[in-house]
Amino acid sequence: MTVGTEYEVASLDALEPGTHLCAFHRSLGQLSRIASTFIGHGLAAGDRVLYVTSDEHAEAVLRAMPGHVHAGDAISAGQLLVRSFSEAYGTRRPDGLGAVAVGFRAAAAQSRKDGFRGLRVAAQVDNLAPLLGSPEEVLTWERMSTALQREIGVSSVCLYSHDHRDELLPVLQARAAVTHRIHVDIEDLTFADVGSLARIRAVAASLPENGALILRRVPDAIRRTLSLSGLHHERLRLEP
Amino acid sequence: MTTATHSTLFYDGPRQYADEVGGVLRDALLRGHRGLVMAPARRVDALRSALGRDADEVTFVEDTVAYAPQWNVYRVLLDFAAKAKGVRTCAIAEQTLSARTPAEVLDYQRLEAAINLVFADHDVDLLCPYDAGTLPSHLLDIGRHTHDALRTGGAMSQNAGYDEPMAMLAGLSAVVAAPRDSITVDCSSPADVSTARRMVRDLGADLRLDPDVVADMALAVTEVLTNALLHGGPPAMLHIYESGPTWVCHVQDSGRDALDPLVGLLPPAMPSDHGYGLWLARQLCSAVDVGTDDSGTHVRLHIRTTAA
Repeated sequence: MTVGTEYEVASLDALEPGTHLCAFHRSLGQLSRIASTFIGHGLAAGDRVLYVTSDEHAEAVLRAMPGHVHAGDAISAGQLLVRSFSEAYGTRRPDGLGAVAVGFRAAAAQSRKDGFRGLRVAAQVDNLAPLLGSPEEVLTWERMSTALQREIGVSSVCLYSHDHRDELLPVLQARAAVTHRIHVDIEDLTFADVGSLARIRAVAASLPENGALILRRVPDAIRRTLSLSGLHHERLRLEP
Repeated sequence: MTTATHSTLFYDGPRQYADEVGGVLRDALLRGHRGLVMAPARRVDALRSALGRDADEVTFVEDTVAYAPQWNVYRVLLDFAAKAKGVRTCAIAEQTLSARTPAEVLDYQRLEAAINLVFADHDVDLLCPYDAGTLPSHLLDIGRHTHDALRTGGAMSQNAGYDEPMAMLAGLSAVVAAPRDSITVDCSSPADVSTARRMVRDLGADLRLDPDVVADMALAVTEVLTNALLHGGPPAMLHIYESGPTWVCHVQDSGRDALDPLVGLLPPAMPSDHGYGLWLARQLCSAVDVGTDDSGTHVRLHIRTTAA
């Protein structure tokens, strides 16, 4: 599942600067595909890419990089930075999210100073809730990030493992609070009970009149459940 | 305040059917009411002929759609009425009862009895024709006991055989215990729901059932099991077995508070994140039995093991 923002298509290979995505992966293979696509296109565009991950995952992702992208060269040139979660976010709860935002702004400025067009960030954020103290703090961070990244033109993808799929709805709610058009690619969602779909509909209903929650590549089983339950809303759209 | 009517007609042959039902529809159209027919294809054809141009004013839905599954008929009726609020609906409702399995016939009795309560305040005149020339007596008895009015020769009369619907529904909710040779799993933890879903899919595949139908059953089991975990008492058990022409997924919990027999017959009035479980199950399965006794609350979900 991939949650996009207000841009037309939440596609990893054609992002507008300032896009804030999140993606849920079921396996290391899926994580590798998502991260390597995001990183590969960032490097090809001349941006600096910060990849926040574990050593084990970094190796798998770098191996999965498209053939024309030379990750080793990019690392040597300082274009691709691979950092552990603790290196990127620290090991202690920050005094406030403002301090994290200051770090984010500084990293973006440093990228431009070093001669890169911009900054992109791919981050495995499964440890964010323990670090910040609660899932609610993560959502506050998500909301703040969406606005901040749009302001400073930094694109990112937050990588959640499928074990954290229960956070999809809170993430959607967090996005809905700051952006009015949300794209969600749910091709890999094999099942959703009607309660979950009702809550997704509620997110769509909470958007203003010009907003929309757009579900992309909706599996037939999910379409059927939506149809049977009658959980339609003018701002909940299914594409294609 | 409006009041619905729920009448029956025992007809003998297509001519009587077309005369009686065609007359009812024509009268309704003259009064400015809207017409809806849910019936087998041969009856639809007969009515179109009988009504002539008036047929263009009537909406026809074949029984293979309206009653697939049976409880969908409530939804068809609600959706039709919702398109013209304030205008009275004249609905004709008949299906090919002789093709129904025993579990479906039992559920149809509930459906007919519950209409009297569920639609009591709706702007609807519902006529249910029964083919007295071909249907066996136990199926005709459903019509005799669930309609308070009888149509004969163009006139309506009170039906002396009508049974009070709530009492009838109570009588139709007897618990059927799972057989000893059923496959039984304890699903008392929320994490067990996805395991149960996989099990339903695997066992359905082993039986070579239609994968789409099995997927529907898996969804129904999820919803009913979730209800059991949220509202019932532990342990929640899932029994799976064959029962004649149907495959049954039977959810049992130890809750002993009898469920209102009208719960889940209509969808929630407003979109909500709860209240869909039994409604959705009835839209997904060919029959749904709900009952409570000292052993707890039982919901039996049926799908056919052979094509209709």
